[in-house]
Amino acid sequence: MPKIEVSRQDLFAQARIEDPGDEKLADLLSLVKGEIDTSDGDMLKLELNDTNRPDLWCVEGVARTLRCWNSGAERHLNELPEPDMDIFVDPDLDEVRPFVAAFTASGWAPDQRELDALIDVQEKLATSFGKNRKTAGAGFYRLDDIEFPISYRAASPETSFVPLGCEKEMTLSEILTETETGRTYAHLLEGKDLLPLLEDSGGNILSFPPILNSQTTGRVRAGDSRLFCEVTGTDWETVQLSATILACNLQDRGAVILPIRINYPESYPGKTVVTPVIFSDRLTASMESIHEVLGMDISPESAQKALLRMDYASVELDGTGVTGILPPYRRDGIHAVDMIEDIVISLGFSYFEPLLPEQFTLGKCAPIEDLADAVRILLAGARCEEILRPVLTSRAKVKNLTRTPSDPISIANPMTAEYGVVRNTLLPGLLEVESTSAHAAYPHRIFETGEVLTACEDGYCRTDILLACLICGNKADFGDAHSIIGSLCHSRAVGLSLADIDDERFIPGRCASIIIDGRVSGVIGELHPAVLDNWGISSPASAFEIALSSLKG
Amino acid sequence: MEDPVERKQVTEERDLHPLEEKLLVYLKENGGSSDTEIIEKSDLPDEGSYRRAAEWLLSRELVTEVSRDEEEFVELGPLGIVNLEAGVTPELAMLREVAGGAASLQDIQKSTVFDRGRWGSAFGSLMKTGHLTKDAAGIHLSCGSEETVFGKVWDLVYKPLSGGGELKMASLPGDVVSVINDRSPKRGKSRAEFSINIVVTRMLDITEAGCIALSAAKENTTIGAITPQVLADGSWRSAKFRRYQLDIPPSQIHTGRLHPYRQFLDTVRKRFMALGFTEMRGSLAENEFWNNDALFMPQFHPARDIHDVYFLGDGFRVPPPDGGLMERVAEAHENGGNTGGRGWNYSFSRQQSLQTILRSQGTALSARTLASNPEIPGKYFGIARCFRYDQVDTTHLPDFFQVEGIVLGEQINLRHLLGLLKLFAQEIAGASDYKFLPGYFPFTEPSVEMHIKHPVLGWVEGGGAGLFRPEVCRPLGIDVPVIAWGLGLDRMAMLAMGIEDIRDLVTPDLSKLRGIMVQTDRLLLGKGD
Repeated sequence: MPKIEVSRQDLFAQARIEDPGDEKLADLLSLVKGEIDTSDGDMLKLELNDTNRPDLWCVEGVARTLRCWNSGAERHLNELPEPDMDIFVDPDLDEVRPFVAAFTASGWAPDQRELDALIDVQEKLATSFGKNRKTAGAGFYRLDDIEFPISYRAASPETSFVPLGCEKEMTLSEILTETETGRTYAHLLEGKDLLPLLEDSGGNILSFPPILNSQTTGRVRAGDSRLFCEVTGTDWETVQLSATILACNLQDRGAVILPIRINYPESYPGKTVVTPVIFSDRLTASMESIHEVLGMDISPESAQKALLRMDYASVELDGTGVTGILPPYRRDGIHAVDMIEDIVISLGFSYFEPLLPEQFTLGKCAPIEDLADAVRILLAGARCEEILRPVLTSRAKVKNLTRTPSDPISIANPMTAEYGVVRNTLLPGLLEVESTSAHAAYPHRIFETGEVLTACEDGYCRTDILLACLICGNKADFGDAHSIIGSLCHSRAVGLSLADIDDERFIPGRCASIIIDGRVSGVIGELHPAVLDNWGISSPASAFEIALSSLKG
Repeated sequence: MEDPVERKQVTEERDLHPLEEKLLVYLKENGGSSDTEIIEKSDLPDEGSYRRAAEWLLSRELVTEVSRDEEEFVELGPLGIVNLEAGVTPELAMLREVAGGAASLQDIQKSTVFDRGRWGSAFGSLMKTGHLTKDAAGIHLSCGSEETVFGKVWDLVYKPLSGGGELKMASLPGDVVSVINDRSPKRGKSRAEFSINIVVTRMLDITEAGCIALSAAKENTTIGAITPQVLADGSWRSAKFRRYQLDIPPSQIHTGRLHPYRQFLDTVRKRFMALGFTEMRGSLAENEFWNNDALFMPQFHPARDIHDVYFLGDGFRVPPPDGGLMERVAEAHENGGNTGGRGWNYSFSRQQSLQTILRSQGTALSARTLASNPEIPGKYFGIARCFRYDQVDTTHLPDFFQVEGIVLGEQINLRHLLGLLKLFAQEIAGASDYKFLPGYFPFTEPSVEMHIKHPVLGWVEGGGAGLFRPEVCRPLGIDVPVIAWGLGLDRMAMLAMGIEDIRDLVTPDLSKLRGIMVQTDRLLLGKGD
């Protein structure tokens, strides 16, 4: 979930409300699906839960939502003039970083705090929405230093300029290897023969996107009131929405936004694009479908009002339903239910009286869980203590320490070897209990019923529920385990017999297959001293493990 | 704390133990008697029983100590036994050597009857007692060799003890006693010549209270342990039952028991079943289709990343979904298909959909249930072990329990969703207060998060819920609204079990486990109350 840090004072100034205090603010943050993470003086850390709303990951977006909910929808990026500035895109960028969106913002001179907030938004969008600058990354420049048109071109790695924060000229390949930012993002351009470059018609290099701006044009200072903003990336949608969100934010701050025409190569469909793109996604819901979701009637007019308070660009009523157009900074509406949820959020949950479902249904336990419950109670009655262990374990515990004959299924991308396989037997878990419980009063009679993952011969993996039981103490022997499985089988009215087998986990001649109602169902034996030694267990132990379903009868 | 006065009274009223009664009977019949007499002549089975009974009765003042004598007895120590075997003590031997003409310690030490050290200390003793003197010519006797205290010690102590046993110190002359005292150290007994034992002899007699207690006891036959014999012969009818002291701590037993977390889960299951829910079961391994795609989570969703989900190797698969189903889901993702929406607008990979992962959310169970012809109206729940790509620490386990479920029916809507959550808060968690917040899940719209009020910790997360999107339901063949909800149970279990480290939920430490309790009738409150 994205988290952002905002200035309290800035938030409420932009929202045009009095600071309501944390408790009331927490309620208001419902509108943005947000929560207060920490509140410390002027600093507010907010957590935003909607991963589909990058417009909300900044103070401007949160403030806008609160402001519009109080005073109604606003017009964003409305009536922009025809663009008179151009960017030309080099066809050779097609395989490198093909998309760009840009605009200018004038008339708002950010102070240092506001400038910092602007950089924060730029970073947050590039990191969380733009997949760490891959699909989209933005940059700001001093407009007055730039001569239009701008060329977004594919340049040789030997091209050089003075990058931001440096004093001398560096080539693009040097920037990728010698600067910290370069090294961090070099993987985005790995294997490219040519690299992206923004250059104005005067031959000034603006930046090497998405790595570094230039020291001369690419350094914005507090007080600069004329800005050029660009977003480049590999995903058209992400690039455009990032630019549109930034333009809306700057307009909210008081800047005048002017669009720029992006001229793509001839081969590109829709050869020119004017940016920022004014998205206007349309959603239509019938009053009937609204009623079905809400469970109550609301008038078309109150639906309309609710949506306008959510800053919808427009809401039209046609007698049978509602058609809403989302504001340009939102592209998360892909079904009428998305608009209906906005009605719910705008009205608040307290508007809806909770009801219980009226239809009659039966409560039923899963049969295997019913069986597990019966068996667990029998084992507790046999003075056994139930254990619960993680499903993920290590190959070493299953194979090397316990000497389990079959292989557990490995995880392809384990976080650590400690949890690198899915258990296929419960015995290592019980042995681990013994290896850490020598100080607990004996005798130990422990068991677990639990899920394991088994690789089947048909190539599929199957989840089974096993039951394992282990007895450990000075006098623990085969008979202890045998008497428990014997009493279980007696209580479950199933037939038990044993057949000698060899199994490395157990002492030869004290180890058998468990056959229940004629079917091989598990194994029983006295644990081999080598296994006990591997686990550092200093008392004898016996154990059995069976498929739980074999006790079904 | 208990009242000490109260406790004393109970002790005094306690009936006589059979051993106590035997001792009182003997004293009543024989008057004041010594320990040895009682041990030899009474019916008490052995000395230990006598001493215990005597201590109990003394503390209850039913008998009294008439007199107390301490007598010292001497027996030979290890060096004394060596002397006895040699037939002489080093002192006597040295006096004889000097009398026989030896003039220096070096000469005497040539004899190997005793080692050099013992000769040396004997010489020191004899010089100290003045039996020997030393001048330029050598050492000389200052008296006859047999008329010394060492001669008396040989005659009066060694000789009588030559067959073992002990002697009363009081029967020996004073100078002999002081030699014995000097040579019987309390420490280093292995190098001692003598050893002194103190024997206490006391005279006990019955007190008036003792006589009363005894006659009271005699009126009734008191019974301690109830034996089959007592039941068979009917003697219990006229008997009095000896009163036990009841407030001593009980001895510990280790019962068989169910795991506290499993007990917690059992309670959650029972409560859902009581509310009319049918239990679902699923698989630890799933393909991405059921875990994500069927839930309309786009394939580019960050939660599907390699750093968020555990993938199984290529050789391990789960059965693929029916082909038609896969196509409907793919269309919903790509362009909305027949769902009324426009989809996520990307190219759906069927290959990715079939990759095997460890179930990352219990909602996979709900997706499978919806696709397998569920009852309508229907209510389903399942407790599923899910896997999370996290470092293990005090708040994260690699696998964790979620409870998950769906409610489907013609008339189901948002208000039922809120009603159900309210019911969960009150009936499952036992919370006094709750609130609803808008939430975000890729598969539900509207989405709700519930917070419930914990009496100590304040607001805690109580689960996420929503109405499944049409893009989830329609491809699975469901045309009625579906409420979906889910809740991670580990945190709530920790509250109920009163533990702070999540790893303790699955601890391998048996003694720690034995210390964890859960009050299954008060799930949310637990020990936090």
